Amino acid sequence: MSNASAAEVFAGGGEVGHDLAAVEWESTPLGAPGQWPQSLRTAVSILLSSRFPMWMAWGPELTFFCNAAYRRDTLGRKYPWALGRPASEVWAEIWDDIGPRIETVLSTGQATWDEALLLFVERSGYPEESYHTFSYSPLRDDDGDLVGMLCVVSEVTERVIGERRMATLRDLGSDPSAIRTEQQMLTFAAAQLDRNRQDLPFTLIYLFTEGGVELAAATGAEQEEREWPTAAVTRGETQQIGQALLVPLLQQGGSPYGFMVAGLNEFRALDDGYRGFIELAAGHVAAGIASARSYEAQQRRAEELAELDRAKTAFFSNISHEFRTPLTLIMGPVEDLLDRGPDGQTRAELDVIQRNALRLGKLVNTLLDFSRIEAGRMQARYEPADLATATAELASVFQSAVERAGLTYKVDCPPLAQPVFLDRGMWEKIVLNLLSNALKFTFTGGISVTVRAEGDAAVVTVADTGAGVPEAEIPRLFERFHRIDNTQSRSNEGSGIGLALVKELVELHGGTITADSTLGEGTTFTIRLRFGAEHLPPDAIVPVGKAADWKAGAGPYVQEALRWLPGDENGDENGGENAVRTAPTKARLLVADDNADMRDYLTRLLRSAGHAVEAVGDGQAALEAARVHNPDLIVSDVMMPRLDGLQLVAALRADPRTAGTPVLLLSARAGQEASIEGLEAGADDYLVKPFSSAELLARVRANVELARLRNHHARWRTALIDSLQEAFFVCDEDGAVIEINSTFTDILGYGPEGLPYPPVHPWWPDQESDPDGYQQVAAAFALLVDKTHGSYTIPVSHRDGHVLWVAASFNQVRDPDSGRRVIVGTFRDVTAEHYAVQRESALAALSVRLTEADSLPGALSSVLRDLRDLWQATQVYAAVFTGDSTPAVTTTDGGPRWDELPGHQRQILASVRDEALLTPVAERTGGAGISLEHPNGTMALWVQLAENRPFTEQDQTLLALLAGRLGQGLHRIHQIDQQRETALALQRAILGPAQLPAGFAVRYSPATRPLKVGGDWYDTVALPDERIGIVVGDCVGHGLQAATVMGQLRSACRALLLQNTDPAQTLTALDRFAVQLPGAMCATVFCGVLDPVTGDLAYASAGHPPAVVTHPDGTLDLLDQGRSRPLGVHNPSGRPEAHYTVPSRATLLLYTDGLVERRRLPLTDGIGRVAVTVQQGRGASIEDLATEVMESMTPDGGYDDDVALLLYRQPGPLELDFPAESTRLAPVRSALRGWLARAGIDPTTAQNVLVAAGEACANAIEHGHRHGPAGRIRLIATATADYLRLTVTDSGRWKTPRPAENPHRGRGLTLMRALMTEVTVTTGAAGTVVGLQARIPQ
Amino acid sequence: MSTELTFATVQDPDGATVLSAAGEIDMSNAAEFSAALDGALAEAGDAPVVVDLTKVDYIDSAGLAVVFPHIDRVRLVASEVLAPVLTVVGLDDVMTVRA
Repeated sequence: MSNASAAEVFAGGGEVGHDLAAVEWESTPLGAPGQWPQSLRTAVSILLSSRFPMWMAWGPELTFFCNAAYRRDTLGRKYPWALGRPASEVWAEIWDDIGPRIETVLSTGQATWDEALLLFVERSGYPEESYHTFSYSPLRDDDGDLVGMLCVVSEVTERVIGERRMATLRDLGSDPSAIRTEQQMLTFAAAQLDRNRQDLPFTLIYLFTEGGVELAAATGAEQEEREWPTAAVTRGETQQIGQALLVPLLQQGGSPYGFMVAGLNEFRALDDGYRGFIELAAGHVAAGIASARSYEAQQRRAEELAELDRAKTAFFSNISHEFRTPLTLIMGPVEDLLDRGPDGQTRAELDVIQRNALRLGKLVNTLLDFSRIEAGRMQARYEPADLATATAELASVFQSAVERAGLTYKVDCPPLAQPVFLDRGMWEKIVLNLLSNALKFTFTGGISVTVRAEGDAAVVTVADTGAGVPEAEIPRLFERFHRIDNTQSRSNEGSGIGLALVKELVELHGGTITADSTLGEGTTFTIRLRFGAEHLPPDAIVPVGKAADWKAGAGPYVQEALRWLPGDENGDENGGENAVRTAPTKARLLVADDNADMRDYLTRLLRSAGHAVEAVGDGQAALEAARVHNPDLIVSDVMMPRLDGLQLVAALRADPRTAGTPVLLLSARAGQEASIEGLEAGADDYLVKPFSSAELLARVRANVELARLRNHHARWRTALIDSLQEAFFVCDEDGAVIEINSTFTDILGYGPEGLPYPPVHPWWPDQESDPDGYQQVAAAFALLVDKTHGSYTIPVSHRDGHVLWVAASFNQVRDPDSGRRVIVGTFRDVTAEHYAVQRESALAALSVRLTEADSLPGALSSVLRDLRDLWQATQVYAAVFTGDSTPAVTTTDGGPRWDELPGHQRQILASVRDEALLTPVAERTGGAGISLEHPNGTMALWVQLAENRPFTEQDQTLLALLAGRLGQGLHRIHQIDQQRETALALQRAILGPAQLPAGFAVRYSPATRPLKVGGDWYDTVALPDERIGIVVGDCVGHGLQAATVMGQLRSACRALLLQNTDPAQTLTALDRFAVQLPGAMCATVFCGVLDPVTGDLAYASAGHPPAVVTHPDGTLDLLDQGRSRPLGVHNPSGRPEAHYTVPSRATLLLYTDGLVERRRLPLTDGIGRVAVTVQQGRGASIEDLATEVMESMTPDGGYDDDVALLLYRQPGPLELDFPAESTRLAPVRSALRGWLARAGIDPTTAQNVLVAAGEACANAIEHGHRHGPAGRIRLIATATADYLRLTVTDSGRWKTPRPAENPHRGRGLTLMRALMTEVTVTTGAAGTVVGLQARIPQ
Repeated sequence: MSTELTFATVQDPDGATVLSAAGEIDMSNAAEFSAALDGALAEAGDAPVVVDLTKVDYIDSAGLAVVFPHIDRVRLVASEVLAPVLTVVGLDDVMTVRA
């Protein structure tokens, strides 16, 4: 024995054994192999026979041995040099790391364990960064002395580096919502890149600028400034330069944004994985830049829209509410005053007032024109017109003003051959605005107006020699509200809106307007209008109008212009009639008399006394007039049609607003009774006709003064209420509105003349077209009538039809006079706030949707549903036009495909797509659309509204904002989708054994999406002697952190199992590992070692739920022995091990608690349920059974914990692959016979199967031979609880059996059919498959 | 190499010629079986031949095809293991089953 040769010692070592035998052992301290102790030989033999990487060191110099797996994985170029050398020499470069460990092993006899230790090994010609998980165990010689050590090592370099790179990509792809700008994004990306200095020692991110490149971010080690060649990256190609890789930052559909220079790890080769990682990282950076730039662009656009909207809203609401009403109230009285023919000074002052009021009115009207144009409500009427005459007439209006300014005025308008289609009112505004503008800015020289024909168009120019405009300002000349500062002009007044309106009006005519200007020399405006009507909408063309007066609206323009000029004393255009000079007005009187002569007399008489008089013809008219402007005194006849004087008095007294108005009754009826009757009715005084004028005036004066004294308080109250900024109203007990103030009228358009307003009030929204709004108002009204106080916000309908929102609050009070309950309330217009809130909340909801969604289609359909709810739309369509195929349609209800949509709907969507991006299109047909950028192309969005429902300007703004945000969100989701795919691919690489042994089926379901790994795991490990290690474990928690712990526990358990092949010892060793690994404590593990030949299973469980075995007859066994506590928890009695023999055709089920654990139910309940599922499925194939178990155990709403499942059926399938030769039949039968015995099949059934399978094989051999010697046959046998299934597959075609021709041939098939429960023969192009199935008698 | 199969031809006490086979018969060695049966038939002259298959663990259709042409002169003896196959192909009337 002791004299074995070197060849014998290293037998079975393959090539490594051969090379070991070639070592000159005599020159090592170990001496000739023949003399080696038995312990060394055994160690070498174990080493060489193992397929797991190992090396060992023996003797005083720690002489080095290794096996083939170690050579392949770790030793590299050091082979075969290393064999027989001192270990310290072989691993000189890492001896500092490993020497002390080996020393510890040899001095203490304790094994070491290292997880993923970084070692720089020189096996590929350079120091290479590598990671190893290994254990050093002591080796003893025959006398039991420590003389060496064995190292079992698993190289985990790929995993460690893979995880590290994955972490970088994950961090890069994380979506910190605070990142908005490109610089923020680059800073963020650089911070992530810098965290992985191993793979990216340094990075430089360059962006292409107009002139060249610019360094935008840098990480890692400082780099000297240098110029990088950009030719390759500009073409989009990656280029390696020394220890750096230049990667383009690619832009979808464009040239690269720039490039990233990535420093390369000098300890790693630049392989495909490394290169791919850098390119992916650069891809993330590029995507980030794309996102940031797109975000910034869209942000700008959205802000501009919002800004414009804000400006308009503010301006228009100011104008309409603050200007129009007072303006009317100025104009009316001024006209009245002028009508009365005042004297020189007064008249001059009144003229000033009137001209300014006109000017204001003109401005308001211009602004209203704008809002009409914007809303598409400008109803143009184009009629064929003589442009030259029209323009000349309008120009003539300014003649005197221009002359008075001392300027020359040239109007050169020769007749044109063809008419031009003009809207009369618009053209007037165009010309007058231009002339007004010219006069305003011109101080010397002159103004000229010309009309010419040029080609197919008429050209009108208005030129001046005025101040001119700086060149830089010309592009903004037609911009709304834009005023050019520091320009000399006749007036600082002006809104900067006239030219913008001119441009809009010219464009409504299908024409163009341009401006040429030189500072200090003058400005020329040129308008081009095409002849004919083809360019105008046909329904807006009307025939030529009657006697054209082209100067209808010129008054305000000229008056305004004249006021700019010095020595203004022009005022006779409005030439007042001769008026009697009157005394200052004392009181406002209302005269009611049906006799016109009497009425005129009274009016004249009272006016002469200085009163303001309004005269009406009957009592009803008097009542209405009194309600509108409550007069100081009413002088009324008693006898009048409709409503007589007494009735009038009664009606006035019944109305709280007029109850205090004094009434002087005039009557032809003399006598005490009549007088008393009148006074009892509530009249203040009574005068019998005929009366002297002096008496009447005295009575009037007395009553007015008396009433003033008496009503001082009431008047103060009225003035106070009218001055309120808020609308004020009083309701009676029934909810009828009986008093309002002027702001009420301003907001709602309903004035005091309509009082009282009984419910349902006319401002309630229409029940038909806006049922929701109607409901809200009805609810608020109920509140108003029932409660003592409260507040509410409701939509109401203005008299002119537009909807606004008001916030109201009210109180119940008791009228001190009548003792009745009344309701006093105020409200204000909150339309702007309401829409702002609606906009903000819609944007917020949209953002939430986009954040929640995890796929593009999911995001889109949930957003569409939100849009539908927002506008109560009947349907919302989104069509993505990808360019090369049919558009992809999404609707709120799943909806049809593109080709199933109605034709008009397709047309609408296509036309929306053609609009400018993010520009809303609203149609009268009840819908609105917008186009935006979808990652796959342009997306057209269409909101289909219910009939009658308008789509307002606010709605359009909101739609534009939402669409902008949606576009950004979709792009971000698209990028996250791509990043997730990348991450998932990397994650899958660290889960599960690549190949399962035969007979196993597994399932895995992580709790945390989108990860595909969690804290649970399963594993199978091929052990020596064909045994199989089986592990199922469960780390605490789930998600990425648990997955990281899981990965390490799994690797450790695998390595330990290979070393120990003993479940209890493996778990004990795993305990020590778990103590050091954060997060590994309390993990549960089932660890078993199965002999698939005998079914013997040794197992141990660290706190893991029991495995379940189902016998073929349905009997259940729970493998609940070998139990101890979870990992890392102290086990005083050690870890026990149990043994079990898996019966033939029994099914073994291993699982983690996520499969069976349910809240509020005992664990045993779940185990019982899964046991029954496996029991019922014992006749199914192992794969089908695995699917069935996962499905049947799924809780409502899916698994909320990680689930790992592993199934095994004894014996595993038999799989044979052999050449189609008859000599192979006997060995095949022998193998099949052995397998049938393992499957526990009775002899008769076994013989039947053997013969049937033999016949199938014999047939296959005949076909195999016919197709040449290369034919092969494949036999697969599987067992379930009660059936055997075999398939025999060959590459030939079967002969049709013809027993009549040769009675002894073709008997094989007959035999098979007779012996088997079912036989199928499937012949295809690739060959023939025979399926055999036999029922196993119980 | 064909499947292992051995033959012995003897006279039984009744004077009948008995061909005893041991091993397995399949298409790889059916020819040997055929030659052995031809030899036994020749030796027996016109008398029937007993083919003793009790030590044969396996026979397939190629082996059975050897027997069919001589069905009139052959008696089979087989174990219980082989009996179902021989019955299926219709040889039960010339077969004796021996445990």
